[in-house]
Amino acid sequence: MKVLVAGEKPEQVITTANYAKSLNPAQVVAAAFKPFTENELAMLGGAGVEKLIHIPEKYLASGAAASAAALAELVKKLDPALVLIYASKKGVEICGRLAQRLDAAYASEAFAVEKGEKGFVAKRLVLGGGYVATVSLNSKPALASVKVSASETSQGMKPAVEEFDPGIDAPAVEVLETIKPEKTRVDLEKASLIVSVGRGFKKKEDLSLAEELAKLIGAEIGCSRPISGDLKWLEEERHIGLSGKRVRPNLYIALGISGQVQHLVGMRDSKTVIAVNIDPNAPMATESDYYFVADLYKILPLTIEILKKKLGS
Amino acid sequence: MGTYRMMSRTMPDIVVCVKQTVDVYQLKPHPETLAPQLSQAQWKNSDFDLNAVEEAVRIKEKSGGKVVVVSVGPEVKQLLVRECLAMGADEAYILSDPSLAQADGAATAKALAAVIKTASPKWDIILCGEASLDQNAYQTGPRLAEIFNVPHVSYVNKLEVGDRVLKAWRAVEDGVEVVSCSLPAVVTVGLEINTPRLPSLLMIRAAQKKPLKELSLNDVGLTKDDLMPRAETLEVKALKTERRRQVFEGKVEELAEKLAERIIAHMGGRR
Ligand SMILES: Cc1cc2nc3c(=O)[nH]c(=O)nc-3n(C[C@H](O)[C@H](O)[C@H](O)COP(=O)(O)OP(=O)(O)OC[C@H]3O[C@@H](n4cnc5c(N)ncnc54)[C@H](O)[C@@H]3O)c2cc1C
Repeated sequence: MKVLVAGEKPEQVITTANYAKSLNPAQVVAAAFKPFTENELAMLGGAGVEKLIHIPEKYLASGAAASAAALAELVKKLDPALVLIYASKKGVEICGRLAQRLDAAYASEAFAVEKGEKGFVAKRLVLGGGYVATVSLNSKPALASVKVSASETSQGMKPAVEEFDPGIDAPAVEVLETIKPEKTRVDLEKASLIVSVGRGFKKKEDLSLAEELAKLIGAEIGCSRPISGDLKWLEEERHIGLSGKRVRPNLYIALGISGQVQHLVGMRDSKTVIAVNIDPNAPMATESDYYFVADLYKILPLTIEILKKKLGS
Repeated sequence: MGTYRMMSRTMPDIVVCVKQTVDVYQLKPHPETLAPQLSQAQWKNSDFDLNAVEEAVRIKEKSGGKVVVVSVGPEVKQLLVRECLAMGADEAYILSDPSLAQADGAATAKALAAVIKTASPKWDIILCGEASLDQNAYQTGPRLAEIFNVPHVSYVNKLEVGDRVLKAWRAVEDGVEVVSCSLPAVVTVGLEINTPRLPSLLMIRAAQKKPLKELSLNDVGLTKDDLMPRAETLEVKALKTERRRQVFEGKVEELAEKLAERIIAHMGGRR
């Protein structure tokens, strides 16, 4: 069985290749639009990739149509049983077009792909993220964009690098400009402590309560979607859930968050969950280890004082 | 932005694809099988698709043109389609067929494309939500673009339409990409692009008179075989989380004490 892995960025190709190893394929070939450093090549080798096929970056630069068209030509040439593309936002749109082009069975944003009786089987979150769908992909090739986390990587024999330019035309989208986020990046996915805020806060200034708590215990600040999306009180990259980050801290403290299914997807893998909510019946109650029915405006100042004493600061 | 507005001489024909889904907010799993209890669920227009309708109507209000709503599914509800018409869309075409209950991205796109080819063949822009409330698959827009062999821009949170060209701001991991492409094109929008309007009673009444047409597979040149899914859903099951579910109620001073204790007990070796 041959597997083709691809991704927008080198580290994503490596992650996908590492994931593909779990399927025990006979051969893993990687495809990428961006150049790899020597170190990245060694990592790719460590992930069991024998060959890296470099497709000119101009395809990625002219949008998903061109990227998909180039990948389709490569798939026709290599004839893999399975194509896995890392589910970055661009990866997902490319995979959608690729599936259409190849008339292949496709699962998007799969968190697992396994060998089934008939073909491959993918698992993905549906219905707001509260449910897992098991999807059978019985076509050759089968396609999945995969949302998997990076595993331990090791260096290995560097794969051979081949160039592949199919010389194919596709409808183009021109990038005029990329506006980078202003603030320094937060890596919520790696945070071990998160204080997360929701609409239980009435004003932006009140978030200082959560910030003080976070500072005291060394936590990162996260939030529900309305806080960053609708109210713009915090940066987009702090929002946790279906349309935001998936986090897995040791401790997740949810302050004034109701616990709608789209939020839960993002924090379900937390080791311990503490919540503060004025409503005893919010959905968060059954998703918490410790659920405090209280007005956050009353409990937080007191808790902060106690913590200051106990933690000695 | 000014230049784009000045250039807008075309009156674009806009098609908006709207999916009807179960209201996932109200959905409860069966206590034993963990399967979603779909038969009891309410239906609604998928959230992102209402953003797409809103954006289409805003473009029409600025540049003129026409907004056509297309909805396909196992049992498309006219009442929900009327909601889109009340928001300002001009006409709607629906295709209901039981075979679409098992539809994957491929079948859905095929059905939508067939309806669009029949109902509004000379479109300039197809607008879709970037994903649907139930499947969250991010496939429909890119697939339609591939079928029609046109460019597409996904994850759009700001859109300007000019003369045979569009400019879009799209949110990706690296920031916001400002992009441009020629029309016809497919655009998928996110929740941030706008706030869908709540139609007034007057608009709701006016929508009753707008054309809403039911098409059959035959009308759009499809057979049931065409709509066979390539990806087949075998099972859907609720996720279960194991939590202690200890609830603390009472005097806030005591609660604060317990909260501090729990935080210290679980914050690990930090500090
Ligand atoms: C397609 C789609 C994708 C989405 N993706 C996401 C996502 O990725 N992440 C996400 O978070 N949401 C997402 N949402 C939104 C989600 O459905 C909810 O609307 C959102 O999570 C609610 O945020 P919240 O809990 O902060 O607000 P609310 O639901 O309004 O809850 C506020 C809570 O605060 C409590 N409260 C009020 N006052 C106090 C007080 N004084 N003290 C203590 N508690 C108080 C209330 O009891 C309530 O439970 C998505 C929605 C859609 C349609």
